[in-house]
Amino acid sequence: MSKEPDHFNQTPRRKAEFIRPPNTLKAKVGSGGLSEEILNKAQTLLENNAAEFGPLADLYFTSLMRGVEMARLDQAPDDNENVIAHIIYPAMQLKANGGMFHYQLVTRAADKLIQFLEVIEKPDEEALEIVVAFLTTIRAIVNSKITGDGGRHGRDLIDALNHACMRYFEKHPGQRKDIDFDYIHKVDDQTP
Amino acid sequence: MSYQLHRISVLVVEDNEPMLEIVKSLLHTFGVGHVIGAPDGEVGFSRFCEYNPDIVIADWMMKPMDGMTFTRLIRNDERSPNTYVPVILMTGFSEKRRVLQARDAGVTEFLVKPFDARDLYKRIAQVIERPRQFVRSGDFFGPDRRRKRDAEKSGNYGGPMRRDTDTAETTKSRIIDQKNDAYEALRKIREKNGLAKGDKFDINPDDIDFA
Repeated sequence: MSKEPDHFNQTPRRKAEFIRPPNTLKAKVGSGGLSEEILNKAQTLLENNAAEFGPLADLYFTSLMRGVEMARLDQAPDDNENVIAHIIYPAMQLKANGGMFHYQLVTRAADKLIQFLEVIEKPDEEALEIVVAFLTTIRAIVNSKITGDGGRHGRDLIDALNHACMRYFEKHPGQRKDIDFDYIHKVDDQTP
Repeated sequence: MSYQLHRISVLVVEDNEPMLEIVKSLLHTFGVGHVIGAPDGEVGFSRFCEYNPDIVIADWMMKPMDGMTFTRLIRNDERSPNTYVPVILMTGFSEKRRVLQARDAGVTEFLVKPFDARDLYKRIAQVIERPRQFVRSGDFFGPDRRRKRDAEKSGNYGGPMRRDTDTAETTKSRIIDQKNDAYEALRKIREKNGLAKGDKFDINPDDIDFA
């Protein structure tokens, strides 16, 4: 039974039961951690991972472009969040997986794209053009097999994308929202 | 002496197959005895019920069942063989609100992609060495979302007063205790090294009696 709050604008305090489960995991593995040798070996394995990122990235590019097309077809949607969610999902996958497959520049560019998508109020045509610019850039990075951070050229690419976003916000100052939306659970058609 | 990871099993739930293979390989390199893979939350939950692994590592975004729904099943479904199992959630999101969403679903640790071998190891070591106490409160059951030394010691959390076990007095007395402990540790170091008050010195953790 919760205690009565002092004011109706307060959340009632909840009864909380604290449970300390037995640490069976610790009992099984013991102490001492892992040696530097093992960690270095694991890191080397990760760095030498030769899995191709291209085919995976292609799936996300297709999904991202599909999201853009959906947004273009529905320029007066009831739910802007839902439209943006279909773009943000593949962008997030590119961000997450790029760096895992040695494409750190893809991760950086996709991260900027997500930041942009998370603050725009609605996906108007100008915003979608910026999304397509990101897509084109990231596709070029993958197709050209630019692994790592891309050096100076990579920084220039990120700066150019960043400036495009800034110009958009300068032109549309009211298009920046400050509410947290839950995009993740809005996606009903995720690929792959 | 090092961790005997060959004694444990880990379930990895990830819809991106190359990524699943990478995580499995890392775990094998760490010496984990049994690594089980699953391509989504639905299959993941059935494998979880079948194998009852010691640790679960899951991706957030998957179809048909995502990592959050999967975690809620582990914590709340009556078929779950171990509602306390540590769940490490992998995701590209790193914003605070995403972390909070994951905590609200019952996730134990958050692993931001891209990650390296040490990041993964740190999360595993964290769930081994610093397991969270669990909380059952209203509609939530899962690891305590507020990891505090005080909560671990006494069961009373000293942060914002949202639970009826929270009191401002315990918070205050905890801070005073910590301050007194710090003064006492400094006094002992000065005494041991013949230093006067105001003398500067480097603090060596070995000189502090944490007990």
